Amino acid sequence: MRTFIVWMAGCLVVTLMVPVAMAQGWNMPVGVTDVSREVHSLHMTIFWICVVIGVVVFGVMFYSLFRFRRSRGAESANFHEHTTVEVIWTAIPLLILIGMAVPATATLSKMYDPSDADLDVMITGQQWRWRYEYLGEDVAFTSSLATSREQIRGAEARDENYLLEVDEPLVLPVDRKVRFLLTSDDVIHAWWVPELAVKQDTIPGFVNENWVRINEPGIYRGQCAELCGRDHGFMPVVVHAMEEEEFDAWLVERKEAAAQEAMGVDREWEMDELMERGEGVYGNICASCHQPEGQGSPPAFPALAGNQQLIEDVEWHLDKVINGVSGAAMPAFRNTLNPVEIAAVVTWTRNAWGNDTGELVQPAEVAERLAD
Amino acid sequence: MWNVVKSVLAAFFGVQKEDRRREDFEQGRAGAFIAVGILMALVLVLLVALVATLVAR
Ligand code: HEC
Ligand SMILES: [Cu+2]
Repeated sequence: MRTFIVWMAGCLVVTLMVPVAMAQGWNMPVGVTDVSREVHSLHMTIFWICVVIGVVVFGVMFYSLFRFRRSRGAESANFHEHTTVEVIWTAIPLLILIGMAVPATATLSKMYDPSDADLDVMITGQQWRWRYEYLGEDVAFTSSLATSREQIRGAEARDENYLLEVDEPLVLPVDRKVRFLLTSDDVIHAWWVPELAVKQDTIPGFVNENWVRINEPGIYRGQCAELCGRDHGFMPVVVHAMEEEEFDAWLVERKEAAAQEAMGVDREWEMDELMERGEGVYGNICASCHQPEGQGSPPAFPALAGNQQLIEDVEWHLDKVINGVSGAAMPAFRNTLNPVEIAAVVTWTRNAWGNDTGELVQPAEVAERLAD
Repeated sequence: MWNVVKSVLAAFFGVQKEDRRREDFEQGRAGAFIAVGILMALVLVLLVALVATLVAR
């Protein structure tokens, strides 16, 4: 009896360690999606079933080993079969397995249903970074490790999110169904974020699907979970979940930035290019009022050719074109022309028809003004 | 024939009485067990497929 109590006490201690481990954060996270909650509760249910089975089976086994040990004169029984017992110990595990399979299958079929998504994001694994593409939104970027070399070498203290920081996180909205299409450019990677209960292989030549509907805004971190070469440990995943309005604003901003980049706002333009483009814009838009040769038709429409104030003051010139003249027929072009077109037409009017200022206005300067 | 089916079912389940096993080995024909075994395996596959489609709907 004493040994039995000792064994049972031992089992109890092991069992009680579980809540301690969970409090320490050693367990899998509950996560922030309905699916991740289900996965967690399945995991805990099955875990406790295993604990009970373990306690019963090992309890009986160790008890028998000690209670009926040879030094106390135990003789082994010598029987061969016992059909009833065999049927029972086959049927019970069968029922337990079916009992676990039913809820597990229900959750699994939910996880495999990416239909009716509000947003599609293509995730591409690359040695050793992630590329994110918001399909149909013209927004795409690469997300790479942001932890400093010094920290990696150990020359600097390692911070809390060591190797779990990126330059540009994947930004997602909460409360919307986001479908992931996952693939790879080179070798097999796996996109894994524990808090979202998503761990999906990205395979070259295949497109896997998965989805999330995040319930809480926040930053969720993960890693590549498939050994993919030298820097496998250096391609973390960071998801920044935002409130819907915040996300929409972010997306618009990114779209504009992407469009500007496509137009060449960020690069340095040559005089010739700007003049050519500017002549076109002027002819299409300004010439109807200011006349093709810039002579205008005073007093209604001022001349631009030989306009002294225009020649002397770029700022003033830009302001007129961007903001227009309220109360007069000069329209504001801040929303109808893009930064490249504004820079080009201003450059053109500052250098055509004898306005030889020799000055050129870069699209980037205009973009900066427009942003104010 | 019924005995063969019962023995195959017992084999699927994994538990068989020693007397019945001996009996099968003395009197049964191997071909019958193999044929019934294959047939029942097919039935099992169909059963699982049926359950899966019912659940998936
Ligand atoms: C619908 C007619 C119209 C169009 C189109 C137009 N402008 Fe004007 N613009 C005016 C009028 C009217 C004024 C005078 C405003 C005022 O009363 O100060 C003016 C003034 C200006 C001035 C200031 C000149 C000064 O001496 O006050 C500049 C520079 C200018 N326009 C450039 C442009 C450029 C570049 C475009 C083409 C992108 C353009 N405008 C298109 C009507 C127009
Ligand atoms: Cu990888």
